[in-house]
Amino acid sequence: MLTEITQIIIAFAVSFIIYATIDVLAGLPREGGVCGARAIGEAVEESGGDLHGGYMLGNIVCSPDASAGTLLAACGVYLFGLTGGLIAAVFVYIGNRICSDKGYAGTAGAIVATFVIWGLANAGIIAPQSFIAGMVLAILVIQGISHKYASILLGKLWRLRA
Amino acid sequence: MIPEITELSLPALICGIVALYSCIRIVLEKNTLRKLPFLNVLTFSVTGIIVLICPTPLGTAAACAYFIGSTLESNAIASTWAKRAEKDKKDAADGTEAGIADGEAAQ
Repeated sequence: MLTEITQIIIAFAVSFIIYATIDVLAGLPREGGVCGARAIGEAVEESGGDLHGGYMLGNIVCSPDASAGTLLAACGVYLFGLTGGLIAAVFVYIGNRICSDKGYAGTAGAIVATFVIWGLANAGIIAPQSFIAGMVLAILVIQGISHKYASILLGKLWRLRA
Repeated sequence: MIPEITELSLPALICGIVALYSCIRIVLEKNTLRKLPFLNVLTFSVTGIIVLICPTPLGTAAACAYFIGSTLESNAIASTWAKRAEKDKKDAADGTEAGIADGEAAQ
């Protein structure tokens, strides 16, 4: 096993790639799913950011997406292995339906993250609790440091896909 | 009786620091809608802390329920705020038009 800090850094990179890829592929930056997400996107644009990146930030806030799926999958795998991750995917789907979202991004993210985290934990590379810290750091980078630059980065990723 | 903290795990420490940082950012941010992403970071870290401190089936259920509940709350706050802002804008536009019409009528 690697040292704990190295594990957390690798977990951060892996979870960032998982949720950014799935969210962009699921089309979260296209438009705000609910009027609250649209309003957040417009508020981020007013502060000098990108509108599509802002919509993605709004969608992450307003409904459990792939980032929530990755965090809850890490929690599930930490306690009950593969089964726990799949139960977490069901919770994410229920959360999506409550928040009037179709739920593809969140559920797909939770299932993909479950298999990745379980595989890496079984191979003895990264412990699941490092994934919890890694995912918290990954969401901090996007939502918690600078909305302007984060939205510009997400907007660029969206234009690459579109 | 307060339990003694014998071993502070690194993931829990990271979640705690991130939670504290996002609290400070929420307080410092002026725009209500731009507070919500910071609130989301706080939710993520508190969910992580719940699972790391209480690694039991009930702990996981509590973490999932807390996470989904607070996402729903953020959704409700953002939607209400957006609708109110739209209504204010519409009222202001109507008020201006009515004002102009009154002015013309007076002339």
